[in-house]
Amino acid sequence: MRVAKSVPFGIAAAALLLAVVTHMAVGARPVSFAEVLRAFTEFDPSVIEHQVVRALRLPRALIAIFAGAALGLAGAVVQGVTRNPLADPGILGLLHGGALAVVIGIGVLGLAEPTWIPAFAAAGALASGVIVWGISRAAPGGATPMTLILSGAAVTAFLAALMMIANLLNETAFQSLRIWLTGTLSGSTLTQFYWALPWGVLGAGLSLMLARQITALAIGDDAALGLGINIAKLRLLGLLAVVLLTGAAIAVAGPLGFVGLVVPHVARMLIGADYRYVVPLSALLGALLLVVADIAARTLLAPTEISTGIILAIIGGPVFVWLVRARL
Amino acid sequence: MSDLILRTRNQTVALRLPRRGVQLACALLILCVTLTFASVMTGTYALSLTDTLNTMTGHAPSAMAHTVVFEFRLPRTLCALMAGALLGCSGALLQAMTRNPLADPSLVGVSQGASLAVVISIILLPEMPQTLRPIAAFVGAAVVAALIQTLSQKSTGGNAMRFILSGIGIAALVSAITSALLTYGRIQDSMSALVWLSGSIHSSDWTDVAILALATAAMVVVLPALGRRITALGLGDDMATAVGLNVRGTNLLLTALSVALAATAVSSIGPVGFVGLVAPHLARRLTRSSAGLHLLLTALVGALMVATADLTGRLVVAPLEIPAGLITALIGVPVFLALILRRG
Repeated sequence: MRVAKSVPFGIAAAALLLAVVTHMAVGARPVSFAEVLRAFTEFDPSVIEHQVVRALRLPRALIAIFAGAALGLAGAVVQGVTRNPLADPGILGLLHGGALAVVIGIGVLGLAEPTWIPAFAAAGALASGVIVWGISRAAPGGATPMTLILSGAAVTAFLAALMMIANLLNETAFQSLRIWLTGTLSGSTLTQFYWALPWGVLGAGLSLMLARQITALAIGDDAALGLGINIAKLRLLGLLAVVLLTGAAIAVAGPLGFVGLVVPHVARMLIGADYRYVVPLSALLGALLLVVADIAARTLLAPTEISTGIILAIIGGPVFVWLVRARL
Repeated sequence: MSDLILRTRNQTVALRLPRRGVQLACALLILCVTLTFASVMTGTYALSLTDTLNTMTGHAPSAMAHTVVFEFRLPRTLCALMAGALLGCSGALLQAMTRNPLADPSLVGVSQGASLAVVISIILLPEMPQTLRPIAAFVGAAVVAALIQTLSQKSTGGNAMRFILSGIGIAALVSAITSALLTYGRIQDSMSALVWLSGSIHSSDWTDVAILALATAAMVVVLPALGRRITALGLGDDMATAVGLNVRGTNLLLTALSVALAATAVSSIGPVGFVGLVAPHLARRLTRSSAGLHLLLTALVGALMVATADLTGRLVVAPLEIPAGLITALIGVPVFLALILRRG
């Protein structure tokens, strides 16, 4: 990697480290930065601050890093593969599809074990992704950014209504899911994280493998064909990577929108159009964004906690509008 | 001759109406009345038709029947009908103004703006009287509508698609703020706001009926006069200007009216979506008609839609209730998708 390209990575990694330490320091019981570091370097089980950091705050920070990185990667791949600057797992309906599948799995089929949640989330994301893609392909003019987003918005509205109905029909079973559905990191456990990890790693590996070809695809279908790329296969593998990553993120944090929308744009601004760099940088920046948003969610209205998904929408909505203005 | 022609005696004013359109309007009106009766009669405490008629004419067979009809079912049904009519017309005006068949007050953030304003009033100003809610809703909806309008304008001029997309983005932002407020508010205020937000009509009372009746009456007076302007606008900006229409003024007027209608409806029954999208298209499918008659048919279709959704929501999983807003979304989304697929 050239020196100039490594600078943004260095800055992003440093910022992420700082954000993670802050994330573990703030809260109902503030812990000094030095004490946070000491909880790892010279852990002392008798110091209550160390226990708080290691047992309560570290899992949450890990999950934020994981979900953020997964969504950042998913956003970069889906924007590259659909060649659509406005694409995002949330806007294309994948998050709601995955969430609905989890709701059905837990609430209707009674599968309470975390083992199955990533699989359900991935299957739901796949189903809704295929539906949205199919509708926009069938529309006159094909799968333009416009038709993709409109059908994504419509499918999302439909799934949201279905979820609310499921919610009303079985209030006790969905009590625990209600906050999860707005996208939050507060209830997640390390068990969920361990089960989601392989899915995320698989998706991340696939994304990095595809990055070079996605750069060629971004130039245009003809250019990609000329370079000997099998476009249909690339799109299919891209969708697979996005679905794996989205499923993993949903399983630990619920439907968190807008990370996948915002992050790849920032990455491209920092490092240019080459997806070999955009994809890994999106993972770093996604983790950074989610950790920072989670700090805001925990501190803005303390002691009440806002859902992280709400913070992300407050950041992401304006970015979306700005992108619409800039690109259409 | 398939048109009805109404004239004043000295023939200074004459009105030509397509016969089929008028027949349809009458049929829809009869359906509305039938639906009202059906809605008043059915429920956990069922009433026979004679009992219902007796109760309505003031000879209630029991105090219970009187309470059920006048306190619960009648205001609720009337609210559903009138709010549906307002939402339908709001959508029709928005579609005429943007010349975009996909425009709907809930899709472009107007409903969310009204919701945010009402939730602010419930949570931050709990003492505010209910009668001021429509005004708060109007202010919220107007601010959001103006914001979207400004953001979708560029030096190259407006663009219908940019309008819709900006609406989606702003809607996400505004609903996120609404959710944040719900987290922040006192639990009892948040619960009351949540019930209202799910677009349920079951808490409607006579105050809501009065507010909606006022708005509906105003709408019935104002809208027929707009038919010609809408027809002219449909020709395109240049042509409309050529036939003597003030395009900018008309656009502003239509936007303001559309926002006001949607805001009034939303302030009393909550954000019930997709009615403004579906009703104008259904009305157009039923018959070809002039702009004025089309608005009338749209109002009737909208009324029927919301009232049917409310009744269905009450009956399908009784004793639980599915809010009407969810049912209209389930109906509205396929229509929306069909429109995307058909758009050339």
